[in-house]
Parts: sequence; structure tokens; C-alpha cells
Amino acid sequence: MLAKWKLREVIVLSVLAVVFAVVYLLFLQLGNVLFGLFGLIGYDIIFGIWFIVSIIAAYIIRKPGAAFLSETVAATVEVMLGNAVGPQLIISGMIQGLGAEAVFAATKWKNYSTWVLMAAGMGSSVFSFAWGFYVSGFAALSPSYVTAMFFVRLVSGALLAGLLGKYLSEGLAKTGALNSFPLGKEHKRNVTV
Amino acid sequence: MSLHEVNPSIKAFTIVISILILSAFFDPITPILIILWTVTLTFVFGRVSLKKWLLLLAPFLFIAVIYVWSTLLFPRLQEGDHVIWQWGFLTMTAEGFRRGVSLGLRVLSFATLSIMFTLTTKPTDFLLSLMQQCKLPPKLAYGIMAGYRFLPLIKEEFQILQNAHRVRGVARARTISEKMQQLKRYVIPLLAGAIRKAERTALAMESKGFTGEKNRIFYREIKLSYIDWLFFILMISAVVLSVCISWKFGYLQFYNGEL
Repeated sequence: MLAKWKLREVIVLSVLAVVFAVVYLLFLQLGNVLFGLFGLIGYDIIFGIWFIVSIIAAYIIRKPGAAFLSETVAATVEVMLGNAVGPQLIISGMIQGLGAEAVFAATKWKNYSTWVLMAAGMGSSVFSFAWGFYVSGFAALSPSYVTAMFFVRLVSGALLAGLLGKYLSEGLAKTGALNSFPLGKEHKRNVTV
Repeated sequence: MSLHEVNPSIKAFTIVISILILSAFFDPITPILIILWTVTLTFVFGRVSLKKWLLLLAPFLFIAVIYVWSTLLFPRLQEGDHVIWQWGFLTMTAEGFRRGVSLGLRVLSFATLSIMFTLTTKPTDFLLSLMQQCKLPPKLAYGIMAGYRFLPLIKEEFQILQNAHRVRGVARARTISEKMQQLKRYVIPLLAGAIRKAERTALAMESKGFTGEKNRIFYREIKLSYIDWLFFILMISAVVLSVCISWKFGYLQFYNGEL
């Protein structure tokens, strides 16, 4: 998968993953507070934030595997940073990354419009929910509660990952730091025209 | 023997397998036994500091307490449940309490296993081992290491930004939209700086002859030895044994997602 990648792209992907690994850990604390207030659905409200690096990396680098790799690396770094979420987090990261990657794959990694980015966030929601359903046995909860959790997570994936990810990436493109990446080039073209 | 010497990949694999097995069961006894076993191992063979350990465990203690508390607040009253305590709208049933305690202990058992891993594994060793034993591509592994080294730099830059904002009299954000603006003011420059640094690092690595080729040799080799498999066997048998003990005393139940 990495054979066609330039070293520059790999390192930028890793750095993005490292930065967002820290963000993810901070949001885990917020998630715990929301969990205390609202129960299990509390996590779903902000679940989208945990997919954001997939969207940002794919939107900036635009290569097959960007969404999957960035999320997996972010999970690995979360484990390296030494919090109490152990190595099983890497599996969750891979599954979330695959969800977004599946959507980008469906467009053959050609379309990066707002709708596709939001759909990719929702893809991660669907995959992570299926995994949670299996691991934590949501099947035994009341179906209406599980449905509510699912839709909250879906919306969260579309907004907090898709839209916020796009917004941040575009803010970055404006600084000129992305000029050697597809998103930066696209941005430059639009400005000069 | 020390837990620090166990191969990081094998250690991670063992923890993941243990947690996957434990997820299938739901009772108070299995997790208690696992917690006792893991804590003993962590302190006898891991020589970790009690303070660090407690600091990492604290959020999970909070979650465990909330599980017990939520069975008090939202009891799923069923036919034949034994009410053991009632006060106003709070009702505690023996069954509900057991569910809550089981869930809480389950969370704590996963947490103690994870903490045993994190406190006895150096991040760099973990990556080197992933590269040498699990065939993680060197390009990505060294990329992650470079990114990991940026964290203190990013933290420093964050403080500089904070001070710069203060010097220029940027008011403290109060409303939500102000907070969003403030977040953007920090996140964008930090990320832009990180990306520029990443590009320079890649250039430096390539100019020093890093190709990312897979058949390379390593200055620091992370080896496999009998200790790794001993650890694997010890942990898995402990899990199986505690499941058996719980079964013997008639507590064992398969997990159906009780909450």
C-alpha cells in the first residue's frame, strides 16, 4: 500500500495522526463526562471527532489508504502515549479507518466533495457501530435506544468528522503549508483564477 | 524476569487476546480474579510506581462507579427481582446491583490489563518491535517515530502562541462561538507548523539515504525469547482458570450486553 507513497506524504500523515491522537485522548475525557451525564449515548454525541483524522488526511493527501492508515496510526500513538486504553484500541482504529476508506474507495479516490467527506464520516460511524455492537453486545439493549445511539453517531460522524475536518483542512490550505499537496494545489488554483 | 523484557508485540497480542476472551463472559468473579492476578504481576514483575498506576486507573474507577450508580438510577425492574434497598425514586435490586458490579469490574479488569502493558513498554520499543516482528513498513514506523518526537515541540509552540495572544491582548473566550474562534486560532497555526516540520524532516531523512526499503538491518534488535511465550501462556491460562473457577461456583454467565 505504501509503495506508491512519497516519504514526505508518509511523514505528514504520521504527524497529523500524532497531533490528533492527543486530541482524541482529550476528547476521551469529555466523553467520560458525557457518559456520566447521559449514559452510553453520551459517547455517541461526540463520536465523530474520533474519525476526523481519516477525513483530514484523505482530503489533504488524496491517496488510497490515507483514511485507513491515519486512523490506525492515531490509535497506535494513543497506545504509545501511555493511557489506560490498551492495544485493543488499534483494532478499533483500523475498523473506523476502514469505514471512511470504504467510502473514498467507492468514488475510486477521485471525489473529495463535501458530501463525500460527510459520507466518509458516516462510513466510519457505521463500521465502528457494527464493531461496538459485536464487542459490547448492544443487542441486549432496548432496540429503540440502540437505534437512537446509531443515528446520533451517524450525525456526529457527518458533522464532527466530515464538516469539521473539511473546515480545518481548508483553514490549513489557506496558510500555504499544503502547497505541495493536492488540496493546497487545488486551493492555489482557485485563488489565482 | 521482568515485564519490561517481554517482547512488546507479544505483550500487546496477549493483552488483546485476553480481553477478547474476557468479553465473552459476564460475572463478578472472573474479573476480580483477573484484576488480582494482573495487579500482582504488574507490581511484582513490572516494578511500576504506584502513583502512576493509580493516576491511570482513576478515570476507570470513575466509570465503574457510574455503572453501579446507573443501576441504582435506572433499575430494569423485572418479575422476581429482589429489592434490597429503597429510598425515594432510588430502587436497588439484588440483580441490578450485581449487573452493575459485574460491569464495573469488567471495565476495571480491562483497564488493569491495559495499564500493565502501557507502564512496562517503551513507546520506541513497541514501534521497533512492530517493525521487526509484525512487518510494519519502515517508512511508516520511522514516520511515526519522527511525528512522536514532534509532540514536545508542538507543546512548546502552543505555549508561545498562548503568550503571543496574551501580549497582544486577545480577550479570553466566553461564548461558544468565541471558543470556536479561539480553537481555530490555535489549531491551524499548530498544524501548519507541524506539517512544515514534517516536510523538512522527510527531506532530511531522504538526503541521509533513508529509502524505506523493507530488508534493512537494525542497530537495535528487539528479540524473541522463551520469556515472551511464557508470558503468553501464563496470561491465557490465568484467564481460562478464572473462567473455570467462576463456572465452578456457578457465577459464570455469557455476556449479553447488560447495561
